[in-house]
Amino acid sequence: MNVSIVPALKVLRPAAVVGAVAFFGLFVGYWANALLVPGTSPEQPIAFSHKVHAGDNDIPCMYCHTQARRSISAGVPSVSKCMGCHIEVATEKPQIRKLTSYWDNKEPIPWIKVHDLPDFVHFTHKRHISAGIECQTCHGPVETMERITVTSRAIDGSFQLGTPWEMGLCLNCHKQNEVDNGTDCWTCHK
Amino acid sequence: MSIFERFTEGWKKYRKPGYYREFDYHWAMTIDLDKCTGCEACVTACKAENNLPIVGEEEFAKGREVQWIRIERYWEGEYPNVKLGFIPMLCQHCDAAPCETVCPVSATYHNQDGLNTQIYNRCIGTRSCAVYCPFEVRYFNFNDHHWDSPLDQQLNPDVTVREKGVMEKCTFCIQRIRQAKDDAKDDGRRRVRDGEVQPACVQSCPSNALVFGDRKDPDSQVAKSMKDPRAYRVLEELNTDPSVVYLKKVDAKG
Repeated sequence: MNVSIVPALKVLRPAAVVGAVAFFGLFVGYWANALLVPGTSPEQPIAFSHKVHAGDNDIPCMYCHTQARRSISAGVPSVSKCMGCHIEVATEKPQIRKLTSYWDNKEPIPWIKVHDLPDFVHFTHKRHISAGIECQTCHGPVETMERITVTSRAIDGSFQLGTPWEMGLCLNCHKQNEVDNGTDCWTCHK
Repeated sequence: MSIFERFTEGWKKYRKPGYYREFDYHWAMTIDLDKCTGCEACVTACKAENNLPIVGEEEFAKGREVQWIRIERYWEGEYPNVKLGFIPMLCQHCDAAPCETVCPVSATYHNQDGLNTQIYNRCIGTRSCAVYCPFEVRYFNFNDHHWDSPLDQQLNPDVTVREKGVMEKCTFCIQRIRQAKDDAKDDGRRRVRDGEVQPACVQSCPSNALVFGDRKDPDSQVAKSMKDPRAYRVLEELNTDPSVVYLKKVDAKG
């Protein structure tokens, strides 16, 4: 008796086509995701270096992020804050020229937000700074970064570049420091 | 500490009779029905403050409206001797709340301030709490709600916009309580002063029928108001121990 494998293959052909398309789509999806969704270290409109400002020149964080100790959000400094120094300092560098053009056109710089919390989380910078928490505790070693990268912290205290924040980061710290009602859901959620 | 020990400790703390006497605060409200005119200013204020959706006529007919505080009407007597009565109904923040025990994922619980709270992220939408609530004050989001521009500009940033499949309820404007505590800490005070925090409904009441405050503070306005001889609690026979106290309306017939 003659047994052929061909009819079986014919039946399987649609499944094989679907599988091939799915396999191809996986790569397309990965590429589209990397292209369209901002990553953990997006390229900013001006290549601002925290290393130069906060690291080498030792400018305190709250010289520019003035709202951090007064309000919920730390805030991004206005263009006039930048121009306060850069009207004199390093005016000939290409990145500063870009900054000056924003200043001349009276436009805000479209910075891309890197450290972002979901809308259901309530976090006040004011409360944490008045409790004496260093900025680096959550934001990582910013003074060494050329370009800001999302940084998380492991339980052992080591920084993990490129890892977004999770609830455990908040809870660990609240437990270690024995915050009043620190583990109540409505302390942080809203 | 193991998970089991932590669980038993939490159970001892919150699941014993009279556990609410150890609260930091015990927020409570009194509603004077003699002063209430039924103007529904509280309903409007609540909608604006807490990002409540306007569901529309069709959904309303299906009973899918969301009103954390509502004015309930009822009629007394036979025509022509009818009398209209009404009562503002909101979450009673029961100390022995039936809704809390039934939640399979502990999305609703009693927090240290004596509030019956709902965590939207944890809720899986079984709706069993709404079934167990004798006051019918829990509302389910049957749809994703959206606000057309420019109405989306009036959404309160301190309150989440709840998504489809999540139960929600009155929080006694917990975002305002949190803000008041924050201000108290800035001033170096340990506790929030009486009258410093008001939910949206209390703030908007034109006849001051609603009074809100900390029940543990004997000098607070709400604690004094609760000692009124007219005070009663809705469905008291169910023994849910509500934190909202109503002051009975007294008319000529008594």
